[in-house]
This record gives sequence, C-alpha cells and structure tokens, in this order.
Amino acid sequence: MFKKKIHIENAVRKLRFNSDEMTQQELAELVGVSRQTIVAIEKYKYTPSLDLAFKIALAFDMEIQEVFYINQ
Amino acid sequence: MNIKIRNTLGEITGASIAMIWMCTNLTEASIMTIESVSKVLAQGIGISIILIIALHIVINILSSIITGKYEKDIDDERDKIYELYALQLSSLIFGISLVITLVLLGWFNLSINTGLIAITFAGFIGSIVSLFLKIYLYR
Repeated sequence: MFKKKIHIENAVRKLRFNSDEMTQQELAELVGVSRQTIVAIEKYKYTPSLDLAFKIALAFDMEIQEVFYINQ
Repeated sequence: MNIKIRNTLGEITGASIAMIWMCTNLTEASIMTIESVSKVLAQGIGISIILIIALHIVINILSSIITGKYEKDIDDERDKIYELYALQLSSLIFGISLVITLVLLGWFNLSINTGLIAITFAGFIGSIVSLFLKIYLYR
C-alpha cells in the first residue's frame, strides 16, 4: 500500500485568497522562497519539503494537514 | 518566461558559443601540438565562463527594462533539488564519455589530442544537457 506513489495536493491558492487576497510574492517573502516556487506548489508541480510545508501552514495560521493533503 | 528559465537559457547560449568557438579553432587538431590544443581548450572554458556571466547580466538588465521591474533571482530548496538532478545527469554523461574516451585511447589508438578534446567536449555537452533538464523542470 505504501509503495504506491501518493499525490499530494494543497489548498495554498484558496488560502491565499481567503487571507485578504495575499499575493504569491507576499507569501514567498513570508516563507523565504521565490515566487516561482509558490507558483509550482500551487500547480502541484512541486511538493515542498516538510520544513517549507510547515512554514506555509504557519503563514496561514493553520495545521499542516489543512494545507497539504493526499488525494485519495 | 520566468527568470530561472531566462538565466538557464543564457547559460546554454554561453556554453554553446564557447563550444562553437573551440570547434572552429580545433579544425586541424590532428596536426596541432598538445600545447596548442590545451591552450584552445583552456581559452574556450574561460570564454564560456565570461560569456555566461555577461549574458546573465545582460538578460537581467533587458528583462528589467522590458517588464519595468527588477525580479530578484532567489535560490531556494526547489533550485537546490533541481541543481542536484542537473548535476547527477551531467556527471553521468561526463563519466560515460570519460570511460569511452579512455577505452578508445587505450585500445583503439585514439590520438591524445582527440582524447583531450573529447573529454573537454563531454564536460560541455553534459553541462548543456543538464541545463536543458533544468529548463524542463522549471517550465
């Protein structure tokens, strides 16, 4: 079961809009990455490290599993 | 096109121009002395480094003029991972080419000049292919 490739999705885009329409640049500066990395995360092209995932969750003041989840 | 792709394209252009310059200066490599071949290769490597830096600056200035804003090129964890993939690929290409060149030198009487050129070009080709991989990952 665990050998199967999992597809991690996220709610970053939705959460940005819920946070006073925060821009990708603002979020990027908040968590210390480039805007392109935020774009890649939102498009599910890049799965962030645990460290960055926690930073993003903290930026929205949420738990990590509310931001990043597995698509069953 | 984002800043990462623009800078990577600049690196590809710089390395390609240096390779073309070396090719034009090594047309008679078989009759050249090892010293002159080494000089051309060393100059080519130098030219590629200078070109890559110059193109990096020019591309950033031009994109700032066109878009009207300065976009900082921040390196983060994603860049480091992609850099690692690119390094793995270029090392693989260079390693295979090195073994092939050594086999040709040892068993098939390849001239030392050709071997030297092949090893240098393998490094360039490995680096160019790895840069294309980076573009693919950044797309």
